[in-house]
Amino acid sequence: MMMQGAEVLLEQAEFIGVAVIVLVLAYLALEHKEITYAVFFFGFMAAAVAGFYLLLEAPFLVGLQIAVYTGGISALIIFGVLLLPRAQDSSLEIFQTARRRRFGLLLSGAVMLLSAILAFFYPWSDLPPVSPPELAQSLQGLAAWLWSGHGIYVEMVALIMLTALVGSVAILKMMKAEELRPLTTESHPESAGKKDESGSSSAPQTETGEGAKEAGPE
Amino acid sequence: MIPLSWYLIVAFMLIGLGAYGMITKRNLIRIIIGAEIMANGVNIALVAFSVYTEVFTFTGQSLVIIVIAVTAAHTALAMALMLMYNARYSTVDLGEPVVSEGRRHE
Amino acid sequence: MRLFIDFNYVFVWALLAVALVVIMLAASWILRPHILQNSDKTSTYECGEEPIGPARVSYPYSYFLYTILFVIVDVMGAFLWLLSVSQFRTTEAAVWQMLFFVLLITAGIGFALRMFPQTILSGKETLKLYREGKARRDSQKTEAAQQ
Repeated sequence: MMMQGAEVLLEQAEFIGVAVIVLVLAYLALEHKEITYAVFFFGFMAAAVAGFYLLLEAPFLVGLQIAVYTGGISALIIFGVLLLPRAQDSSLEIFQTARRRRFGLLLSGAVMLLSAILAFFYPWSDLPPVSPPELAQSLQGLAAWLWSGHGIYVEMVALIMLTALVGSVAILKMMKAEELRPLTTESHPESAGKKDESGSSSAPQTETGEGAKEAGPE
Repeated sequence: MIPLSWYLIVAFMLIGLGAYGMITKRNLIRIIIGAEIMANGVNIALVAFSVYTEVFTFTGQSLVIIVIAVTAAHTALAMALMLMYNARYSTVDLGEPVVSEGRRHE
Repeated sequence: MRLFIDFNYVFVWALLAVALVVIMLAASWILRPHILQNSDKTSTYECGEEPIGPARVSYPYSYFLYTILFVIVDVMGAFLWLLSVSQFRTTEAAVWQMLFFVLLITAGIGFALRMFPQTILSGKETLKLYREGKARRDSQKTEAAQQ
């Protein structure tokens, strides 16, 4: 009985510790001035959320959270930030105004209130905890539910992955065309200076350009 | 054992924080981070429900697995879109191109 | 035994790691001489060169597609691991499902790798485009001059 009390106390202490870490890191991930640090804080937050799954006895989700969120998604965002040196400069970033901030606080408060009403309206909040299945049993049951019982969900996930890959390839091709646009269009960055010298108004310049084009076939 | 409402409170705070970030921020990277934080809050609520109710045990955990997979897919797409936005407007700020849209197209 | 009690050793190690970093930082703060920071101290370290500009550089974004591929393979590995620990992994239905799942994602990866040269900026192609544009402008200029 004594052991039981200590265990409950330890569990509650760990819950409060993990909750404080997660909330502080989530706030820092949104509000830190340097975008690089903000992304790193997001990665740490995703790792700390795995602590909740540990407390809830979901060992597969702990691994999945750390492998996909901390290892995959936050690495993806960090790499995306590293590609953009302009975005890393915090002096160039424009932060929200106080009015917009108040508006956002109001709306997110409304979101929180609505979801709290939704959840606590039903008597879920004082459910007694169900005795969890054995660990090996829980992994087996999860695999049986997902792969054997509802295999179509797995195929749907594969289809979503395929779509994401094809879509990102298409977007990257469009981005390449966007990067090459100064070379393929008539207005070249090198000749832009000369054009500006020849005449700041664009009307005569386009006239000569069109005239030259029309003169070609003749 | 921890009551279910504790987990729900943390989940709602995370969802609210993510919504706050998505509403107020102008930087595209921060908006993506806000979406990820909201997904994490939803996952915590789903796993908590799956542990505290009989019928929902494996349904909730499997839903979390699917949510994580879909989140990975949409983050990949969102980062690609952000890079293209940066290539077109040379900024990741959402409010700026309204002012200087014609900077790169003559 | 609850799962989080099994992991208590991990928490002890985490606390030890944090304590180690804090102790090392505090010890070096106590032991080091506190002199004024000047521009030589705070500048980027370069051997025999004057550093110019910020240290932030732009990485080539050619490798971004590889990061996306890594995330996709990560998720695929997690799903396959869940199947591999189950008891019914050798039944016929599970094998067909897994084959279809892997083939779909492999088709996506193959498509992405096939299209990879079209998504990156290569120096040769850029130079070719630049020369074509330059020749076009030059010919236009000479024609305009002749007229």
